[in-house]
Amino acid sequence: MSEAGPLERLVGFGRYLRRIGLPVGTRRILTYCQAAAALDPFDREDLYWAGRATLISRREDIETFDRAFDAYFGDQVTGERRVTVPDVAGSAREDREPPDGLRAEAGMVAARWSGAGEDDETEGDAALRIVASDVEVLRKRSFADLSDEERRDTAALIRRIEVQTPQRHVRRHRPASKGPRFDLPRTLRRSLRTEGEPFRRAWRDRTTRLRPLVLLLDVSGSMGPFSRALMQFAYAAMAAGGRVEVFCFGTRLTRITRTLQTRDPDRALRQIGREVEDWEGGTRIGESLKALLDRWSQRTALRGAVVVLCSDGLERGDPELLAQQMARLARLAHKVVWVNPLKGSATYQPLARGMAAALPHVDVFLPGHNLESLAALGRILSR
Amino acid sequence: MSRLPFSSAAELQDALGAHSYLADRGLATAIFLGVSLDKPLLLEGEAGVGKTEVAKVLAELLGRDLIRLQCYEGIDANQALYEWNYSRQLIAVRAAQTGEGGPTVHDLFGPEFLVERPLLAAIRGGSSAVLLVDELDRADDEFEAFLLEVLSEFAVSIPEIGRVAALEPPAVVVTSNRTRELHDALKRRCLYHWIDHPSIEREVEIVRVRAPEVSEALARQVAEAVARLRRLDVAKRPGVAETIDWAHALAFLGADGLDGEVAEATLGAVLKDHEDLELARAHIGELVGEGGSGGP
Repeated sequence: MSEAGPLERLVGFGRYLRRIGLPVGTRRILTYCQAAAALDPFDREDLYWAGRATLISRREDIETFDRAFDAYFGDQVTGERRVTVPDVAGSAREDREPPDGLRAEAGMVAARWSGAGEDDETEGDAALRIVASDVEVLRKRSFADLSDEERRDTAALIRRIEVQTPQRHVRRHRPASKGPRFDLPRTLRRSLRTEGEPFRRAWRDRTTRLRPLVLLLDVSGSMGPFSRALMQFAYAAMAAGGRVEVFCFGTRLTRITRTLQTRDPDRALRQIGREVEDWEGGTRIGESLKALLDRWSQRTALRGAVVVLCSDGLERGDPELLAQQMARLARLAHKVVWVNPLKGSATYQPLARGMAAALPHVDVFLPGHNLESLAALGRILSR
Repeated sequence: MSRLPFSSAAELQDALGAHSYLADRGLATAIFLGVSLDKPLLLEGEAGVGKTEVAKVLAELLGRDLIRLQCYEGIDANQALYEWNYSRQLIAVRAAQTGEGGPTVHDLFGPEFLVERPLLAAIRGGSSAVLLVDELDRADDEFEAFLLEVLSEFAVSIPEIGRVAALEPPAVVVTSNRTRELHDALKRRCLYHWIDHPSIEREVEIVRVRAPEVSEALARQVAEAVARLRRLDVAKRPGVAETIDWAHALAFLGADGLDGEVAEATLGAVLKDHEDLELARAHIGELVGEGGSGGP
């Protein structure tokens, strides 16, 4: 690496990845350069694999990386060995704009989210401003009938609902004043003060932990307002300290947990608007559930979790598949709650084929169409 | 770096092959870089693609000790780093009481009463060890933070003994089945490689190396059938280990080819899920390449 040229090319590639949206920090770029030095003399393939090992660390990023690599180093098939650095015309190329495809891929599609939180009013202000009588009205009004302002107020109220999932025992034992297991280490340490005579015995007890909460939100068609409300609900659950996973689905499943974990909820919701592609498209619950179970069933998130599914149950896919997948879900999860806003209407009967197929596998069925009902959901979850 | 028995990724790839581990160029490069740059290597991939095996064969290849830390939910620092041998301490204390000039309190917390757990063993072993942190995704977040600390320092302070530090860091392989996302801080410290299911060609080679009693033709049939199975939308896609198991089972039964009947009888070697088995049975002809829709 004696010339300045190759080094600049390598650093330039790292910066290029950063520009198209991959999280590539200086440390990673440094490691990439070290890797190239360790492989020296390297060919194009070495550069590629070294980049994959050092610049990215998520499987989802591999495809973006591949395209970026081809775009940056030129997409000829593996060059000959001992080429110091693939020869691409001029260094000006480093500064050019990423191609359109990559730009779109990096998540720069226009936001379609137009729900609560475009303004800069904070949650606290909104909560203060809501007068008690307004709250009474808001509590019973369906999320679908809210004005923009009411929606903001409601969002603030939802976030204050207490959400706690039930506890379960874990393997770990903790020191306890009395408990089923004898704590030899602590007893011994205490005994040193009493000349090795174990007068004061110590005990350990099992610890408990909150069960994870998994929210599956239908974002198709008329479900938008209700799903947004439940996202605020997800925030309340996260604030309670439990583990929360949130997925959106319409025609396909999108995991939005990571986006929700950012500090600023309003920005997160706008970001989700960009990530979830089928916002208010059709519904394929069965297929989405299958995607969830195939990819996540081994993951601790689902096993023993409390699962809340919010959907109107108007399934476009095969109800048979939905029933099958609901059965799988019920076997894995601790409790399955189906939130169906249509149930808020007094005349509703779960006759839609999808809903009828799913019901036998549901532990709790409730409307969740207004604040009052969400508060009830919060109480049910902890049981 | 001069002590490494290989000087390039290609040489390492050959050396791995000589130890019956057929790695592709990408994996070989990642391992080579990990060992050369003294960085932990994070391997992700579906179950059964041979992540753990990498650490085993690397230890063999480098002539180092393999130290394995199997992670599980609730694992804590005591189980990973060190613990005092309390029972032994207790006995020593009692012995001291009965006279016999037993140990002093200082002795009581000496090395002979220390129970070494994998991380401490790896720190002490230094460059003569390969540390495998298996299935890190199963451990809790807090443990991950603790591990990050150990991996960045390769030193621990034991209050009663003092600081133990590795002169040279051990080679480290971390595996994850991706049941949850690992923290970015840890990932940044590691090199990363995603191990995919191998191509049919490579899987045939792997079966031939791992199950030498299986004929080339049978190995190919099995590899092709498994490749179709993976495409069949099963919930638990079979890994390479399952392919090898299946080939073993078929060879043991004396099958010289894979047909629908034999395949159905032995399907339990590859698929371990009731719904998956039913799905596969419904497509058995297709799987073994019989009937209309054959070919990979």
